Amino acid sequence: MARRYDSRTTIFSPEGRLYQIEYAMEAISHAGTVLGVLAKDGIVLAAEKKVTGKLLDLSETKSGGYGGSGEKIFLLNSNVIAGVAGITADANSLVNYARDYAQRHLYQYNEDIPVEMLAQNLCNLKQGYTQHGGLRPFGVSLLYAGYDPHYNFQLYHSDPSGNYSGWKATCIGANSGTAQSLLKQEYKEDIAIEEAIGLVLRVMSKTMDSTTLGSEKLEFATLTLDAEQRPKAKIYRPAEIDALLKKHDLAKKDEDAEMKS
Amino acid sequence: MNSLTERFATTGYAAELKRAKDVLGEEEDGLDPMWGSQAGFGNLASGVVKFNIPTVPDPSAFLRMHTDDFADPSCRIKIKHGTTTLAFRFQGGVIVAVDSRATAGSYVASGTVKKVIEINPYLLGTMAGGAADCQYWETYLGMQCRLHELRNRERISVAAASKYLSNLVYSYKGMGLSMGTMICGWDKTGPAVFYVDSDGTRLKGDLFSVGSGSTFAYGVLDQGYRWDLTDEEAQELGRRSIYAAGHRDAFSGNTINLFHVKEDGWKFIGNYDVSKMHYDGPDNTGGYAYELRVEGKSSANPPVTQ
Amino acid sequence: MEVSFGITGKGYVLVAADTTAAHSVIKVKNDVDKIIELNPHLLMAYSGEPGDTVQFAEYVERNIRLYQIRNSLPLRPPSAASWVRKTLAQSLRSRSPYSVNLLLGGYDTSDYTPHLYWLDYLGTLVEVPFAAHGYGSYFALSLLDRYHDPEASLEEGIETLKRCIAEISKRLVVSPERFKVKVVDKDGVREIEL
Repeated sequence: MARRYDSRTTIFSPEGRLYQIEYAMEAISHAGTVLGVLAKDGIVLAAEKKVTGKLLDLSETKSGGYGGSGEKIFLLNSNVIAGVAGITADANSLVNYARDYAQRHLYQYNEDIPVEMLAQNLCNLKQGYTQHGGLRPFGVSLLYAGYDPHYNFQLYHSDPSGNYSGWKATCIGANSGTAQSLLKQEYKEDIAIEEAIGLVLRVMSKTMDSTTLGSEKLEFATLTLDAEQRPKAKIYRPAEIDALLKKHDLAKKDEDAEMKS
Repeated sequence: MNSLTERFATTGYAAELKRAKDVLGEEEDGLDPMWGSQAGFGNLASGVVKFNIPTVPDPSAFLRMHTDDFADPSCRIKIKHGTTTLAFRFQGGVIVAVDSRATAGSYVASGTVKKVIEINPYLLGTMAGGAADCQYWETYLGMQCRLHELRNRERISVAAASKYLSNLVYSYKGMGLSMGTMICGWDKTGPAVFYVDSDGTRLKGDLFSVGSGSTFAYGVLDQGYRWDLTDEEAQELGRRSIYAAGHRDAFSGNTINLFHVKEDGWKFIGNYDVSKMHYDGPDNTGGYAYELRVEGKSSANPPVTQ
Repeated sequence: MEVSFGITGKGYVLVAADTTAAHSVIKVKNDVDKIIELNPHLLMAYSGEPGDTVQFAEYVERNIRLYQIRNSLPLRPPSAASWVRKTLAQSLRSRSPYSVNLLLGGYDTSDYTPHLYWLDYLGTLVEVPFAAHGYGSYFALSLLDRYHDPEASLEEGIETLKRCIAEISKRLVVSPERFKVKVVDKDGVREIEL
């Protein structure tokens, strides 16, 4: 029966549901986890990469660009980074749209776009695809980590329906329920960025399927303020992620070394 | 050079000297009773020599055609103008301060122009408008002032000298003269400043500023002016006012020439570089620049956090 | 012969504008308010072509209000100034440009800083510690170079403003007899009697 209402486009089922959107949400719940934690002096984003493998060419991620492999975490504007979960191709399209919108704002107002405005605008776009016939909704949820002078550091989440909400700490993608309950237990008000980094790594290591964390499975980014109080986004490179994991004692153990000892 | 300028510069000048001698000769005969202590008051017909003017129906239109670089940037003669000059009377005498920039259109023709003309040890004239007109006629005025002294065994009053110049330029009205000058000095009445321009205006006053930068000078001058200024304060005020104009007016600047007229005549106080005034000030104790004065200051008022 | 001044001080911006509406040689009205309140922390003094001025000021006011309603965020002074500049620059290249010169004064509540912007009808935008439009600028700018203090209290700022007005009253041939003065600070906009 449900088939009648979900195969073609976004129309209501007799129970008042929009199946296409629910399926899009479902797609996201299988995607790589993205986790964000708001600290008083910054924001941390971490994401689990799904496209891995020995033969994958990652040479581009090691230097040049702004860091990251371009699969999960993106720089939308100098004051906003975003982690995406869902259909990566859809995500690329949204990221491109967001960047364009942020630049238009910069052009008109000569300021970085306020974070909520960017999230809201993306949601307007997403919502449009839940209503206009013949089109499929975006199969993407995003976590926006941003800074603006109105509300300082902010963390937003948006889903395929076009809903968005602000969070102190949240998670999307596979195992996001587990991660959220972990965050609920461990999150403290007014934590500093260093604590938040530790928290994020800990939760990620428990949430991800693989037993050990490494740069091939993880993307990591922070947004802080520089000496001139301007937002500074840092998307970690593989070597930096490995160094960070080592520092927090979560790095992959060198099995050969263990054997020798 | 253009043949027209040559006519003004050489033929005119030579002819002028000759005519001036003629006037002298005439007066040595005592034929002109008007050359009395009134310093030529109302005496223009024979007292003032005539200048060679272009033999065209409308000489000032003719002149304008060749000199108005605003209407025609490619005109052959660009009259130098753009100036700030000021003079004011106060308890301690008269302060005269001028800039030294001469511009021809948008071109800075010179940065070392002497815009204070030393008519005699007790009289100064300032130069604004056509540089040549001011230089020529104020030098000529100096000659007449000396003649007055010789004839009357006393120095000419500032009022009389300025009236002579006023009448002189008035006789050329409509022929293209361009002058805006302050005749400053000390006479029996004390310190005196008269404004004279080529329209024929002549004004007695305490404080004048003339030229494209005069409004900027006025802004500083008016607010700092008092009759009982000390000599040092007055000199500083004159210097600062010209600096202000040199800073804000593109057609003024380079250096400041400062004079102080007292009972025993004028004294040259100094020449000051506007840029140096901006960054270091007259005695290296701090520049006049707004940016220096407000350095480190902020208009922000964040709430005080304990 | 319109004259307007803007002066920043410690935590505030003072904006003053003459109150004359003139048609050729006639003063039609002498209590015109040429300073519009764009939002609780933003003021704009306008001068220029009669008709254009009020039309443009109200257009800006409505758009700034619209931004606030749409985004639930106030447009901060630097962004408002950029937007107005953009609007003027676009207008200049249209069939009937607005001939309006502006002073924009605002207090940024997010970083506790007063801002003053000088804009002209050509789309020039510059942030300044003090500003003037009209013939007043020829007299006031050198004066303010000499006397302006970015950390002046409101009382001191008003004294400096009075100096400017006194100077143009003294030197400007057709100086306006009355000025409307408004201040914007952390508490918002209010009018000041000189």
